[in-house]
Amino acid sequence: MLIIKDLYKQFGSLIAVNGFNLSITTGETVVLMGPSGCGKSTAIRTINRLVEPDHGSIMLNNSNILAMDPDELREVRKRIGFVFQHFNLIGRLSALENVMLGLVMSGVKRENAKSKATESLIKVGLENHLNHKPDQLSGGQQQRVGIARALAYEPDIMLWDEPTASLDPILVREVLVVMEDLARYRASTMIVVTHELPFALRVADQIVLMDNGKIVEEGEPSQVFVNPVSDIGKKYKELIEYQMNTSAQSLAGKGQLI
Amino acid sequence: MANILTKTRKTFVRTFFSSSFNRDIVMLMIVSIAIGSSLASLVAMSANSYFSETISTLVGEYGEFDLLINVREEMKENGNVQIEKVIEQVFPGGKLKEGPTLNGLTSFLVGLPAQYKTKQTYETMDSIFGSVPGRSGISIMTEPRITLRAVPDGAKSTIIEQIMHIDGVLFAFRDGGSVTVIIQSLDKSSYVNEEIKKLLGQYHTIDIAFPVGGEPENSMRLGEQIANAIQEEKAAGYAQSVSVDSKSNDMVYMVSSMIEMKRFLTAFATKAKITPVTGVSFIIGDSIAFQGTAPNALITGVPLDATNILVKVTAVEGDGSAEGMVIQGDGMQVASSQGYRVINSVIGDPVGTATFQNPRNELGKALKETGDLVLQIPKIAQNAQNMAGVANNALNNYSGSITAVEQTLSSLASAGTTIQSATSGLANLDTSAIQLQLTNSSHAVGSLVNTLQIVRVLNPDVSSSVNELTATQQNLTNLQNTLGALDNVAADARQARSAIDNIVVNGNSMVANLRAFDVNGARQTLTEAGTGITQLQQFNTPLVAAQLQYLATAVPNLKDEEISRSIALMDQFIAGQVIPSQRIQIMTKSSITTEFAEPIISGVVGHNNFSLYTSAVGIIEPDPRGEVMVILTQVKAILAGMVSLIATIIFLTLDHTAVMTVIRRKRIVNKMPQAKGWKRMLQGIKNTFTVPECLYGMGIGALILTTTFVLSGGGIPYLPWIGVPFLGAAMGLLLANNSEKISPISVDEVTAGEALGLSFDEVMREIVIPNGRPGLLQTLNRRKMKFK
Repeated sequence: MLIIKDLYKQFGSLIAVNGFNLSITTGETVVLMGPSGCGKSTAIRTINRLVEPDHGSIMLNNSNILAMDPDELREVRKRIGFVFQHFNLIGRLSALENVMLGLVMSGVKRENAKSKATESLIKVGLENHLNHKPDQLSGGQQQRVGIARALAYEPDIMLWDEPTASLDPILVREVLVVMEDLARYRASTMIVVTHELPFALRVADQIVLMDNGKIVEEGEPSQVFVNPVSDIGKKYKELIEYQMNTSAQSLAGKGQLI
Repeated sequence: MANILTKTRKTFVRTFFSSSFNRDIVMLMIVSIAIGSSLASLVAMSANSYFSETISTLVGEYGEFDLLINVREEMKENGNVQIEKVIEQVFPGGKLKEGPTLNGLTSFLVGLPAQYKTKQTYETMDSIFGSVPGRSGISIMTEPRITLRAVPDGAKSTIIEQIMHIDGVLFAFRDGGSVTVIIQSLDKSSYVNEEIKKLLGQYHTIDIAFPVGGEPENSMRLGEQIANAIQEEKAAGYAQSVSVDSKSNDMVYMVSSMIEMKRFLTAFATKAKITPVTGVSFIIGDSIAFQGTAPNALITGVPLDATNILVKVTAVEGDGSAEGMVIQGDGMQVASSQGYRVINSVIGDPVGTATFQNPRNELGKALKETGDLVLQIPKIAQNAQNMAGVANNALNNYSGSITAVEQTLSSLASAGTTIQSATSGLANLDTSAIQLQLTNSSHAVGSLVNTLQIVRVLNPDVSSSVNELTATQQNLTNLQNTLGALDNVAADARQARSAIDNIVVNGNSMVANLRAFDVNGARQTLTEAGTGITQLQQFNTPLVAAQLQYLATAVPNLKDEEISRSIALMDQFIAGQVIPSQRIQIMTKSSITTEFAEPIISGVVGHNNFSLYTSAVGIIEPDPRGEVMVILTQVKAILAGMVSLIATIIFLTLDHTAVMTVIRRKRIVNKMPQAKGWKRMLQGIKNTFTVPECLYGMGIGALILTTTFVLSGGGIPYLPWIGVPFLGAAMGLLLANNSEKISPISVDEVTAGEALGLSFDEVMREIVIPNGRPGLLQTLNRRKMKFK
């Protein structure tokens, strides 16, 4: 159970997140959407304190992440997988080592770590690229390494920060397939920041629309996209109808396209 | 307090050193400083060694040799042998090395044992090595030393004496035209140098320059007079004529003596005062002839001969009269006052008449009188001795006499008292009433007698009664007279008493005055006078008188011609000698200005036709070898300093900029809301200095540079020691503000590491440092990396 209350973050004069409140139950997939710069990435990064919020509370199973000391924070981070927009792979390490890194550092024996990392990479279809360095992999492959790295911990929560934004459309699909698999067959909670409307429609249990750092609308896809109350929601509805050449209502619902 | 400190220390150690990366940074610092300082020292020492070796090859190690003897190249074999012999005999244990041959001169370097490095040795070095064949010069090389140039000759002794008192000076001595100061050790060189500078700064010389033709006749004597005159001024305190060195330049003193002798002789030469006839004028140098022992008067056109008196004009007065000196014959021999001009040894026209004044005759007379006086001295002394004896006896009797006087006065006072008691009854007796009664009785008896006389005519029987009455009347008269005498006695007694009182009072006063007289002092004076008289009597007055008589006879015998010839001879000698005459140097305190000295000098010289300048009493000559050594030391320090600087920059750039970048990124990610307007600018400036990466950079920079500097003995010109940490901090600050440009880090990788739950240490060790610039930190980090 993750409960975020009154989260606030300001960069200089820019208020990135303002009064963010969200409650997510275990195994739920929440998709954060909104225009660029609305505070989605900042909001998701505050959850594992990659960005320190100015105030608010983030309760993970009754523990306030924001009140944790560095050691506690490191431990909680190991339970929160994070997939970055730009993959954020360690350039000097191979795909396998990238995945092993966190495990080894958290005290897992090297052999076990290797085994787990290999397993993770196989799950994302990279069994033939274990020893490839990031610069020897395509964008999609790199992102899958990133996903494998996050998965290797077997985290309670997976945070996805626009994982397909840096990929070309062909590579997007291979990542989305992995993501959808995880969403469907893993019990972990997922919070996904993305502009991929079809993906959101298919996998989201809850859609959260943000604008200017605030949540403007939230609810199930069928509610948010079919009967939007916010301007942003309405725009997304129009966009869905335009892109899909059908009504949003007909598309709403998890697993519609599967 | 101790508990707090202990707790703080433990907390710091626990928190700071609990991070393995912090420990790595500490290790890095130690290694950086060790490498930096070693490198700086190595480079500096290498350079120093190279240059020192180069110099040593030419002239030996610093302080190794003391003398450099140049010997003509063709004589160097013999010279070498002789130098060796001298060293063996005079400086056993000394060493000799043949140096380079330049311009036909071979240099031999001589090192003296320590015990022979004395002032006396150095001052006699020329004579010690005087036997070396082909020797063309000897130079002092003893190090460390300081050489003073331009010290006036006369000031050298004073300067050397004062330098010898400076701590660190082994000795100082005259080295040709210079003063050389040998210093105990190189580390005292700077101190001695400064002290000598201070000493030289306390004095200066006032140079008195005279125009050509206006030089003083005896500048040395004049210099001493001026120095004395300045010194007598209260404000001056010190002045010394230093134009010549009285201790080393005997010839100058001889010339000075000859000048004085010339002046003496000139003073006793016969002076001719020549009054020209109308139309004649004289110029200095004219020769005028007078008739001397020649039997006849001079005749125009006749050649001058030895019997004539020849006078040379030495001065011409404003009224045309001339003063001259007899240069042939003697002034006493002049037979005629008529003078004739002499042209080409031929007697010319008469030019005037002369009067001659012979100071020698006057001196002779004075000496004769003095001789006569001297002969009287024994008699005078004897008389004085006698008088002294009499006076001494008088003094011996003086006290007794005064006591006698006192006793007399006391007796007189007693006598006065006696007279007073004896005559006091008489003085109180009223004799006038008795006298009156006696007179009346006498008159009554007389009347009775007259009556009885008449009766007796009548009665002859009463004759006997008349006779008895007459006798009675006579008795009354006698009694009356006796009473009158009694009155006189009383009056005389009173006068005597008064006189005695006066005598006693005056006598006591006189005795008091006489008692005040210092008899012992007078006796002492008399004794001394007696001693003086005794000594006077011991003078060999006959001998003195004889000598005076001899001089009185001899002085007039000195002929003018002899005097003038002697003067001419002296002139010839003096003209061949170099004696400073155009310039007089007075060494005095620096506070004495030319304005202060000018009126004093003018008073002594008698005119203002001179110029005054001030100059230093000496200049410290750079010691080439010492300077080179100092420069080498400085070069060494500068090289060490520069290498330290470079090492610090390298260490900061390669090892610490990555750390600074990480600190910076972490700060920026969580940066606080920015202020606006001027506050923003202020915050920007503040951030430039106080943000964590800047503090880190400044601290590390200051620490590395300062420690490396200190350990390597570095030094940068114009940068004091206190500035070194600031320079290091400035370098760190500069790099901190440019750390991202120098060592950019992949923020994405760092963020990924953080997201994976890696600690700061692990992020640094596995992500940042391996991706950073290759340096010590990377090398040290490598052994702890888990993913190499």
